[in-house]
Amino acid sequence: MTRPEFSSIRSGGRSYAAGCEGFRSLPRRTILQAGSLAGLGLSLADFLTVRSARGEASVVGGNLSQRDLPRRIKSVIQINLPGGFPHHESFDPKPEAPVEYRGSFGVVKTNTGDVFSDNLPKLAGIADKFTVVRTVVGKIPDHNLATYHLYTGYTPTAVIDYPQMGSIVSHELGAAGELPCYIAIPGKNNSSGGTGFLPSIHGPFETGGDPGTQKKNFKVRDFSLPKGMSLEQLQRRRGVRDVVEKRIRSLEANPVLLDTMDEFHARAYSLLTSADAQKAFSFEGEGDDVFELYGSEVTGDIKGPDGKLHPKGLSERLIIARRLVEAGVRFVTVEYGSWDCHGDVKKACLDQMRPFDYAVAGLVTDLERRGLLDSTLVWVTSEFGRTPKVNKESGRDHWARNYSMMLAGGGFKQGLIYGASDSTGGEPSRDAVTLENLMATIYYQMGIDSNKELVAFGTRPIEIVKDAEVVKPLLG
Amino acid sequence: MMRWDAVSTKEQGDIMTVKPMVAILVAASTLAAAVAAAVEPVGGTATAPAAAVPSFRSDVMPVFFRAGCNAGTCHGSARGKDGYMLSLFGYDAAGDYRRTVEEMPGRRVNTALPGESLLLLKATGAVAHSGGKRFEKDSDLYKALAAWIEAGAPDDVGSVPDVVEISVSQPSLVFDKAGEAESLRVTATYADGSSRDVTALALFGSNNPSVAEIDGDGRVSANGPGDTTVFARFSRFTVGAEVIVLPSVEGFAWTNPPENNFIDRLVFARLEKLRIIPSELCDDETFLRRVTLDLAARPPTVEEYQAFMADSSADKRARKIDALLANEEFTDYMTALWGELCRVASIDYTGRGDTHKPANAFTAWLRDQIAADRPFDEVVGDLATAVGSTNVDGQTGLYTMLIKDYKLNPKVFAADFSQIFLGVRMQCAECHNHPFDRWTMDDYYGLVSFFTCVKRKPGSDGRDRRVIYDPAAPPAKHMVDGRPVPAKLLGAVEPVAGEGDPRRALAAWIRDPGNDLFNRNVVNRLWAHLLGVGIVDPVDDFRATNPPANGPLLDALAARFVEDGRRLRPIVREICNSRVYQLSVEPTPSNAADQRQFSHARVRRLRADVLLDSIVAVTGVPRSLPRSPTGTKAINYINRTPNSASGDFVLDTFGQSARNSVCACDTRTDPSLSQVMHLLVGDTAGPRVHTAAKGGVLQKILDEHSTPEGVVEAIFIRVLARRPTAMEMDAMLQLVAENQAPAVYEDIVAGLIASNEFLFNH
Repeated sequence: MTRPEFSSIRSGGRSYAAGCEGFRSLPRRTILQAGSLAGLGLSLADFLTVRSARGEASVVGGNLSQRDLPRRIKSVIQINLPGGFPHHESFDPKPEAPVEYRGSFGVVKTNTGDVFSDNLPKLAGIADKFTVVRTVVGKIPDHNLATYHLYTGYTPTAVIDYPQMGSIVSHELGAAGELPCYIAIPGKNNSSGGTGFLPSIHGPFETGGDPGTQKKNFKVRDFSLPKGMSLEQLQRRRGVRDVVEKRIRSLEANPVLLDTMDEFHARAYSLLTSADAQKAFSFEGEGDDVFELYGSEVTGDIKGPDGKLHPKGLSERLIIARRLVEAGVRFVTVEYGSWDCHGDVKKACLDQMRPFDYAVAGLVTDLERRGLLDSTLVWVTSEFGRTPKVNKESGRDHWARNYSMMLAGGGFKQGLIYGASDSTGGEPSRDAVTLENLMATIYYQMGIDSNKELVAFGTRPIEIVKDAEVVKPLLG
Repeated sequence: MMRWDAVSTKEQGDIMTVKPMVAILVAASTLAAAVAAAVEPVGGTATAPAAAVPSFRSDVMPVFFRAGCNAGTCHGSARGKDGYMLSLFGYDAAGDYRRTVEEMPGRRVNTALPGESLLLLKATGAVAHSGGKRFEKDSDLYKALAAWIEAGAPDDVGSVPDVVEISVSQPSLVFDKAGEAESLRVTATYADGSSRDVTALALFGSNNPSVAEIDGDGRVSANGPGDTTVFARFSRFTVGAEVIVLPSVEGFAWTNPPENNFIDRLVFARLEKLRIIPSELCDDETFLRRVTLDLAARPPTVEEYQAFMADSSADKRARKIDALLANEEFTDYMTALWGELCRVASIDYTGRGDTHKPANAFTAWLRDQIAADRPFDEVVGDLATAVGSTNVDGQTGLYTMLIKDYKLNPKVFAADFSQIFLGVRMQCAECHNHPFDRWTMDDYYGLVSFFTCVKRKPGSDGRDRRVIYDPAAPPAKHMVDGRPVPAKLLGAVEPVAGEGDPRRALAAWIRDPGNDLFNRNVVNRLWAHLLGVGIVDPVDDFRATNPPANGPLLDALAARFVEDGRRLRPIVREICNSRVYQLSVEPTPSNAADQRQFSHARVRRLRADVLLDSIVAVTGVPRSLPRSPTGTKAINYINRTPNSASGDFVLDTFGQSARNSVCACDTRTDPSLSQVMHLLVGDTAGPRVHTAAKGGVLQKILDEHSTPEGVVEAIFIRVLARRPTAMEMDAMLQLVAENQAPAVYEDIVAGLIASNEFLFNH
């Protein structure tokens, strides 16, 4: 896939030079300001503002101007279930269907009178808090292509690389606090694309470390001073660097690029020395009750290679996600599990569903208790669902034509089951919701007009989501 | 910034409000005399000559083109727009006729009441049209459509002469200053020998409107100093004209810089024409570091530094280049660069396990070819015709590495092959003629058919695949009409002749010294590696609308490449010996803004693998890479970890290619916050510096030098390959005086590694 470079600057410079080069064609004064503000020790948020001003795409149009859209919610936590989450075994059970379709599990009544698979008793108990869309329609039953579609809203092309949703949010809204706007725990999905035609500044900050496996020892990679290194040492090294920078500076060769590097250094020092930033990435102050609420010790029924049952770590990831949202992070992605159950879908569910059920129900409950559920959307996604019929390996295969997603908070209706699939869960029988329309609805809640066109590499207007419409009935 | 070349692909389209593709200026109010002639029947009698009957292909489709109806953002989108689809820029005339006239009888075209035809009502905005008003009722575009509908909206009878070429009235325009303007005329030549002025039907665009713009009448106006290309498009052809807008002559005096070889002559000729003074020659320290990083993928050692600086002979740079080219590090580096493009990775495409053996075999084969400096056309010819075992016959790896999928998709393979070895992106032509180049769908499917006969079968063990030629495999089918398109070379009319594996003809074509697509691609990639930007850039996007920044230079390099037997080392030697390669990064007053004419060196961030190897080199502390023997250099590393990008966290962080595609852009050198944080507090630099101080190279420096001055100087040479300035020395000595050794020296080394001078080649 090509990555045509992006430029936001409409005057000067050669047209195919962008990204860093695009930066270069900015007026020197703008950059100097950024650099000198850095010297004055302005906060990270100020830096980000300067940077996002520089990384901005030109807007061609859109049916609504951005001013027309109030920002209803502040943050999104996307919980992605890679591999293809079985909708029959979760949000869209088919108890009336023959056994080769309905699979191995029974159902549990939700507190709204509907039914979920009995894999999800906790979520069924708080179904009055969220929306389930049972008729999401994707495009491609291939992991890589569908994951790219899920994260960007576009299917991959050889010619244009599209930005991820989190990158778009970073580009459109910028960061709200000291922390980066878009954070991936523990990292971004390899198939999810990148910042596409947007500048790399809008990429996700990846925690590297995984709160799910490191538990209370969780550390973001390269986010704090290593053992044995003092702050004085860091400052001395910074001082040495500052001294040698003068020589390359004096050559006046590509000052904009060097300024960009200096900005990154200033941001890095700021993050390394900010107590708040460090705190958001820790479990500091979280009581045992919180871990219990998220089901930190809950396991599935399948023993590991060591013959023991193990918790899955989703709880810890979600607690960190919640702390990041509290610190103002706008877009957090969390991945959980491995759902590509071509063989023995039952085993995959017995292994992974219960921790999922507890952790997500815990997050929704926790956000509500803290009064954050209105301003935060919890979005449970997967690149597709699974085939209606159980195959001869007792598994289910890829199925993009109809699957389920859950949306909690963020102004989505509470207690809504939207859409209905047919008797085997294969096709929508009413109220189909394309992935694009669902994304447009989430953008809408964030105050971003998905019809807005960003200009890629100079001339090419590209809608944030192509031809999508807000699904109003989903919103409260 | 406006470009129109990127506006393409089948994916484009379906944008709610129609935007004229920004650089394509649609001026619906102008008139082509030719259209007028066509729409007003000559003679006006019932027995008007047949030529006067409006032609769908010659008269109506150009209106669709000019008015933007069949653009990708409108009805030319793959699925059409609002229910009406036209082929993008008119690649499928028969289909367009059917959809326009027959799909909805009496609606789009109403021959009984021509004025009620939706085609006319929509285009003039008389009824609601998402695309808005395209032209006025009294315009000639309208008249052309109306005349054709009044004539009964006939399909063309017999064959309508095709356009075979278009040309502009001037291939090159030079403006003395901004504000001047001049008009271009566009002429189309048809298969029957006739020609026609199509200025009013063509579309125009500029590669850089800040230098020059071109309007819908073909009028070029100079906006600011620089050089660019303006284009005219008509039918499936695009033709460009170079535009130079000169900066003020005031204060300009050409300095006659010395020329080392033909490269300097051609670059400087261009610079003089553009009134740009090149930078000075870089100093010896800078040259040594630059050329060592470029050819050996690491900074110079202290010994190399001392020897080079002590050498006072006049040809020491040339000898240094020779020495580096003879070194096997150059072989490693070239193998890595080509291996990266060929997507070598040890991850089985079937998802069942590893492919260590095939990946090793492919890499070893490539390395052998490069070590022997075998003519590169032969190397690529062997890759193209490969058959055999991927475990044994390394060159067959191309067929499993490029396509990491259960099925060897010949379309994807052909497009990848073309992009890597010809620098041409053919993907667009799968679904429509390339909108911004000369390639047609026939070219595309002809190329695909070279590879439809290649199959992969299980080999001797689970990792092995047999790449075989299948004589029974049918050629690719054309997307529009499903007819088989036999293997055909790009731009050729006839399919390749002969029995058997058609890839042999492809290889013969690659080996033909006259194959400029191949020659230019190779030299341009090498040039981009050494100068930081291609003469054509992006390097894998040669096309009519992306012309070289210096055409004569590219031609001369390609010619020299052929003279030298198409081997890599001679042309690299030639480039490195040029004064152009050895210029300083420090700009002159006239070249600071230049980013494409090679008037100064560029500041280039080290590639991820080179950076990692460089940190290892200056600290003397090795680093292990996942699933590789200890001591493996990052440039020799093959990813053996499934579901990982490059296989190593640090390489990922610094933008190492994940080898997801053949695109040169997969290697990224843009900076990020994570990179800086990693350099400051990560485990690559800090712990290595600490180890170096505890019994390693830093300890050795401390032992060997009795004074702080000596230590500081040795550190600078080791890390930055230069001596400190007086100011730097003072600052470091002060730091040393205020703090404790050896910790303070660690801080100096770490501070230097975090500096831009270390991170960039300059």
